[in-house]
Amino acid sequence: MSFGEVWNLIIANPILNVLVALTNLLGGSFGLAIISLTIIVRLVSWPLTKRQLKSSKAMQDMQPKIQELQKKYGKNKPKLQQEMMKLYKEAGINPLGCLWPMLIQFPIWIALYQSIMSALATTPENLLNLAQRLYSWEIVSQAIPLSSQFLGLDLGQTALEAGGLGLLLAIIVGGTMWIQQKMTAAPSVDPRQASTQRMMTLMMPLMFGFFTLMFPIGLALYWAVSNIIGIITQYFVTGGWGYLKFRSPFSQR
Amino acid sequence: MFLIIIALLPLTLVSCAPWGTQSAGGWSGTAVHDGIVYVGTRDGRVVAINSSTENLEWAYSIAPATALTSGLACSPSAVSAAIYTTPIVSGDLVYVGTYSGQVLALNMLARRQNLTFPQRGNDEWEWDCPIDNAKSNAIVADLAMSEDALYVASSNGRVYSLDKGSGDENWRREDIPVLAEKLWTSPVIQVNTLYVSTYDGHIYALSVETGELDWSFESDSGFASSPTIYRDAIFLGSFNHHLYAIKIGSDVLEWRFPEKPAGNWFWASPVVDEGIVYAGCLDGKLYAIEADTGRERWSYLTEDQNGKPSPIVSSPVLTDNLLIVVNESGTVYVFDLGAELGNDAVPLKIISIGAAVRSSFCAQEGLVYIRDEDNWTYAVDINEGEISWKLDLTKKEE
Repeated sequence: MSFGEVWNLIIANPILNVLVALTNLLGGSFGLAIISLTIIVRLVSWPLTKRQLKSSKAMQDMQPKIQELQKKYGKNKPKLQQEMMKLYKEAGINPLGCLWPMLIQFPIWIALYQSIMSALATTPENLLNLAQRLYSWEIVSQAIPLSSQFLGLDLGQTALEAGGLGLLLAIIVGGTMWIQQKMTAAPSVDPRQASTQRMMTLMMPLMFGFFTLMFPIGLALYWAVSNIIGIITQYFVTGGWGYLKFRSPFSQR
Repeated sequence: MFLIIIALLPLTLVSCAPWGTQSAGGWSGTAVHDGIVYVGTRDGRVVAINSSTENLEWAYSIAPATALTSGLACSPSAVSAAIYTTPIVSGDLVYVGTYSGQVLALNMLARRQNLTFPQRGNDEWEWDCPIDNAKSNAIVADLAMSEDALYVASSNGRVYSLDKGSGDENWRREDIPVLAEKLWTSPVIQVNTLYVSTYDGHIYALSVETGELDWSFESDSGFASSPTIYRDAIFLGSFNHHLYAIKIGSDVLEWRFPEKPAGNWFWASPVVDEGIVYAGCLDGKLYAIEADTGRERWSYLTEDQNGKPSPIVSSPVLTDNLLIVVNESGTVYVFDLGAELGNDAVPLKIISIGAAVRSSFCAQEGLVYIRDEDNWTYAVDINEGEISWKLDLTKKEE
């Protein structure tokens, strides 16, 4: 069995069929099906997200201690890093722990992209290939063909092709990603790291805003809803806006 | 940042991968006229092959329309020159519709001399389909032809009537209704009426004179195939794994086959002979069904080279009391309809060309002409049970 066949069997086809079945259950709305799938993905990855948020909160609580270390070992960078890692270890925090929920979503993005293109049958080949990928469930076969329209947008089009509404969606994706990142990213005590972090916090939303313009709106809808759910859960789990209001002492320089 | 780039790189690659969208394409079928086989190639050309000499008579490259940029994701615009329609021939002209939204009338003599297109003196013309606020004006469905006109179903959801001689539109544009989000199934003419099926489950009957709606039927499921008309009934396949029979003019379903859904869609249009409907299904089965009752006479499971069921994408063809079926794996089945087939039909011949087939095919004088997905055209001799000749249609670099 080739990689493509395994991929389709385990990831792409289940996601496609769930999407089509959800579309049928939700009155034929493919957009609502994407939103529902986003919620399902968020629920499934909740244990990892919760761990990440707790880790983020603990890092936030640890800021006074980190600042103390910075004052103490400010000129000795290796020692500062060593002490910080020790502090993280004692508190049971993995600074890279926040990456797992995102890593888990990578294959889902790819499968979702394929599913949107396939389910909406943007080309005749896509429509014919869809027949070989759908399960023979009545709930699935009844939903075909799907309508690509949702809130005045064509989910199979790129945001760039959609004009004003597409641009608005790109701003929403970028904006919500920026808020989520600002809430999570613990400010670094190292000026160089802090500068890199500032750049990343700005670059990632810009990149996703750009990708929103380039990929189908259905995928952008997933990103936007996922970000909004992320912001809400983060707000309630960590009890506030996190680092969104925090200003690193180095940002003054 | 690094992780994001790593994540989006495969996403970009996947979007351009063969299973995502396509970089070339079309499933134009073959048409044969006076010993010349006409077919659209996967690299966007219409070619004429002399069946006797097995040589290319002429080829015409369809210029791609200006492609819209769709960013990183490969888009349908990447295949703007693709040909999905099977050429049709009338007199000295070969008509073809393109994915870039044009209908071309190619004169055989002018194309043989490789003259600039269009040669008005040779009655050549081209017609640009309007987009009309739709997503696309691509022409995917086969053209329908009457004595004087061509009928074109477009991805913009409308049907157009064109004068065969000049390419001028016969119907007033403001009178043409939008029948569906897109029309990828072919219109069919019977007497003075044009029948069109839609993916959202409608059948429309339009006047060939004016394009006005005469009758419509609404189903509980979308129609996957183009309609086939036999006597006063329409037969067509659906996305809910059934074949439908509808009496023309009625709003009641005549019958639905099978009782329990089949294994997949009925994508190919059925053919009807002597009161029996022959329908290929994407589950790999060929069904013979009584046209009047919807009762199954027999069924036959077609297979690939490994013995697995292979979808039937192309419509069966009837010739000289023989029924010819080609499945997606490129296996040709020949059934003798004159013989008593009973409940378990046994094919007269099984011939494999060993290549994927999604295009419609035609037959004449014992030869079946098939274009495969690798851009080869085959002439299969059904009497001898072997490939008579094959020709690589891929454009050779000069």
